[in-house]
Amino acid sequence: MSNRTLSRRDFLKLASAAILTASGLLGLEGLFRFLNTQTEPLPPTEFDLGPASNYPPGSRKVLPDIPALLLHAQSGYSAISLVCTHLGCTVESKPEGFACPCHGSRFDPQGNVTRGPANKPLRSLRVEVTSDNELRLYTN
Amino acid sequence: MRRYFLLVASFSLLLGLLITAWQESRHPKPIALTPTLTGQVEYCLTCHADLAEISSSHPVNTFGCVLCHGGELLALDANLAHSTMRGGKNPSDFSVVLASCGGTNCHSGTAENSRNHIQRVTTSIQATYAGAIANIRYTFGVQPDLKAVLGEFAIRVPESTSGITELAAFNPTQETNPFVQAFGHNCLTCHLSALPLTGSEYIRYTGCSACHTPTQSPDRTDTEKLQSNQIHKLTTAIIYTQCDTCHNRGNYNLRTMTFEPRQDLPIDRLHDYYQPIAQFTSCEWMLDCVDCHTRTEAMGDGNLYSVKKDIQYLQCKTCHGTLTDLPQTRTLTDPNDLAFRLVLLNPVIDLNLGDTLLITEKDEPLWNIRVLPDGTYELFGKADGQRYVFRPVKGSACLQDPDRQDSGSCHECHSVER
Repeated sequence: MSNRTLSRRDFLKLASAAILTASGLLGLEGLFRFLNTQTEPLPPTEFDLGPASNYPPGSRKVLPDIPALLLHAQSGYSAISLVCTHLGCTVESKPEGFACPCHGSRFDPQGNVTRGPANKPLRSLRVEVTSDNELRLYTN
Repeated sequence: MRRYFLLVASFSLLLGLLITAWQESRHPKPIALTPTLTGQVEYCLTCHADLAEISSSHPVNTFGCVLCHGGELLALDANLAHSTMRGGKNPSDFSVVLASCGGTNCHSGTAENSRNHIQRVTTSIQATYAGAIANIRYTFGVQPDLKAVLGEFAIRVPESTSGITELAAFNPTQETNPFVQAFGHNCLTCHLSALPLTGSEYIRYTGCSACHTPTQSPDRTDTEKLQSNQIHKLTTAIIYTQCDTCHNRGNYNLRTMTFEPRQDLPIDRLHDYYQPIAQFTSCEWMLDCVDCHTRTEAMGDGNLYSVKKDIQYLQCKTCHGTLTDLPQTRTLTDPNDLAFRLVLLNPVIDLNLGDTLLITEKDEPLWNIRVLPDGTYELFGKADGQRYVFRPVKGSACLQDPDRQDSGSCHECHSVER
């Protein structure tokens, strides 16, 4: 069994290699994190509203997360976007229609403008009943 | 030395990577917001989540921060995030206001729907200071008349109906008269682009925020927040103390061309007026300035003017009428009436279709003053919501001369002793 001592040169080589390896691992970790960066998801455009039976005929349901108003009339389901067409604030549902708390626009129950500054009606949104009798709402 | 080079370089590389990783680990977890109006993710709320909403008209979920303030929307490093902000902490400064607050749906809309705020205010006397500049230059023989030709900044308004369609920029260093030079250096501290004088009583922002961001409380003690730049508010409920950051602060000495601040310490609202010999009626010291003076008077009407009197037109009779005539009124029949929009911003009065309001000689609604069934009027203070009831002059024992409607004439009988 030989009693080898580490020469100074070998030590320096070893230390450099160790440091370079650590640097490489750190760099790889950074690269890995960069490549796996999760971009912020785009706002959803489809919403599952649950069983259609939750929305009986004649009901008006405000869906604040979308935001929209879901209506169940005799003619079927429909929805009105609660995003004001002026600057995008969320309008409030009132007995006489809709009111924007930001800049005062008013809309009738069908979403038509009755007072500016908005000059376009509230958007109608598509609502579908799926085969398993669930409601799905589309905002795009 | 060469044998150590690889080791030193390796160590430096590792150290650099470790520092980068350490800095990276210090970044907070981003809080994302996607404003409805922009649809672009921004991370400002990561650090500013506790900031109060600036106004009910500018909800953060709709506007976000970057639309008005600028800045790097995805940066998590404070210096980087703030590096491209408009106007520093004040995006309403006139140097950047068009980019920050403009837009046809925002504050540079058309005159037809009274949404051209930026165009109006940047042409106003309070912004251009054109009248004071013209007056001083005329007084010292530099210009032949009092017509404004220079302003705080150059501006052209070809459609101006006042006879003045443009102003060149006033540059004191180009003036030859030493008094005009001194005026330029010492006396231009109150226009809307000027930084305020030193002292808590002068504290205000510039641009729109000079008036619409409240930096002065009635007791004048709440200035700490401003000094730490923590006021994040826009309002049309402007208390008189905000106006007093420029007005009522002292006088200009025309011999020395210096501003001489008032020496007294006002103890109450009545004594806030700096002119000790002037007379005031109750409404002039009990109400806030904005309770009577209209948006056009304060912010202009889009034309360039030489003197304040050309745009400030309200008189006592505007609200009180004369011995022969009641003040002008308008019954609200149009849901798009400007009065409804103004009351939305500051709902101190519950206006409804069918209500009758006082209006000015220029058809501006005094939307906080409603006609009551008994023929009197109720005024709601825009800053404090306090209700006042007052009568018209007609039918009273007033002995006024119908041809003398300046406030000085009314003060002869109605001044308040102090």
